[in-house]
Amino acid sequence: MADAAAGGMRSHEAQVADVFGPQAAAYVASAVHARGADLEALSALVAELRPGRLLDLGCGGGHVSFAAAPFVAEVVAYDLSDDMLGAVAAEAVQRGFANIATRQGVAERLPFSDASFDFIATRFSAHHWRDVPAAMGEAHRVLKADGRAMVMDVIAPDWSVADSFLQTIEVLRDPSHGRDYREAEWVEHAEGAGFRVMRTARRRLRLAFNAWVERIRTPELHVAAIRSLIAGASRDVADHFEIEADGSFTLDTLTLELEPA
Amino acid sequence: MIQAQRPGHDVDPKLLEILVCPLTKAPLEYDRDRQELVSRAARLAYPIRDGIPIMLADEARKLDESELTR
Repeated sequence: MADAAAGGMRSHEAQVADVFGPQAAAYVASAVHARGADLEALSALVAELRPGRLLDLGCGGGHVSFAAAPFVAEVVAYDLSDDMLGAVAAEAVQRGFANIATRQGVAERLPFSDASFDFIATRFSAHHWRDVPAAMGEAHRVLKADGRAMVMDVIAPDWSVADSFLQTIEVLRDPSHGRDYREAEWVEHAEGAGFRVMRTARRRLRLAFNAWVERIRTPELHVAAIRSLIAGASRDVADHFEIEADGSFTLDTLTLELEPA
Repeated sequence: MIQAQRPGHDVDPKLLEILVCPLTKAPLEYDRDRQELVSRAARLAYPIRDGIPIMLADEARKLDESELTR
């Protein structure tokens, strides 16, 4: 992904894999990804429920898998990127987890039989998916009837102007960005797939500008465009994202706890 | 000859049981020698590389007639 202008002929999935592959180690090491109140809530729930088999859907750097592994018999770390999975497998060995297996594939076509998981967790992945309703339908299919799911992702503000601003800087930063959905859209996706929303939690997440663009190696041209947009943001948009002098900002995340309806 | 153990490079049989073809959702046959997961219904063989089953149709090998009738 040295040249952001390259592309055009590749599939969306190939682009996602290209963006994240070379950066696998950065995502394993990323503090934003390795920590967080959402991850702690997931750990607490998994520690309470002790599910037999857990699917980490779109595992990325594997932080959900690592947080869950001590409390689960078997973890399946699933991702589109083989480089990410290789990094996760290596880190699992490093941390002494023998119960994390890796599988490569897309969210919309899960290679698992019906009702094969007790728990499904997905974090910071869904905004890359080609088809969220299809992926949520697949998650529902592979989850047991008495299973539980937890969806965590960055979400868009309910105000369209701030929503557009967020999606724009996201695409400039990472051309494989799909969409940060609004809370209402997430509820629709979940219920449409046959889940009942048990509870939701909104949180704020601060992103340090330099680490945010360096982690994914955003090209200079795009970094300059993002800086220009951030500098020119209206007071309302700047207030929502708590934009700081160096371009760092704070966005919204959502955790949905789901069960099959 | 005793085969050298490659830790992390063997696919857990318990987890193979829940693996199906992502296209047809039909069960797969594990070809240990070729390190492939065969979906007869989809006429595809999904490769296993470094112990990671690659469950992407784009990456799968197309099976020819002789392999299907075997």
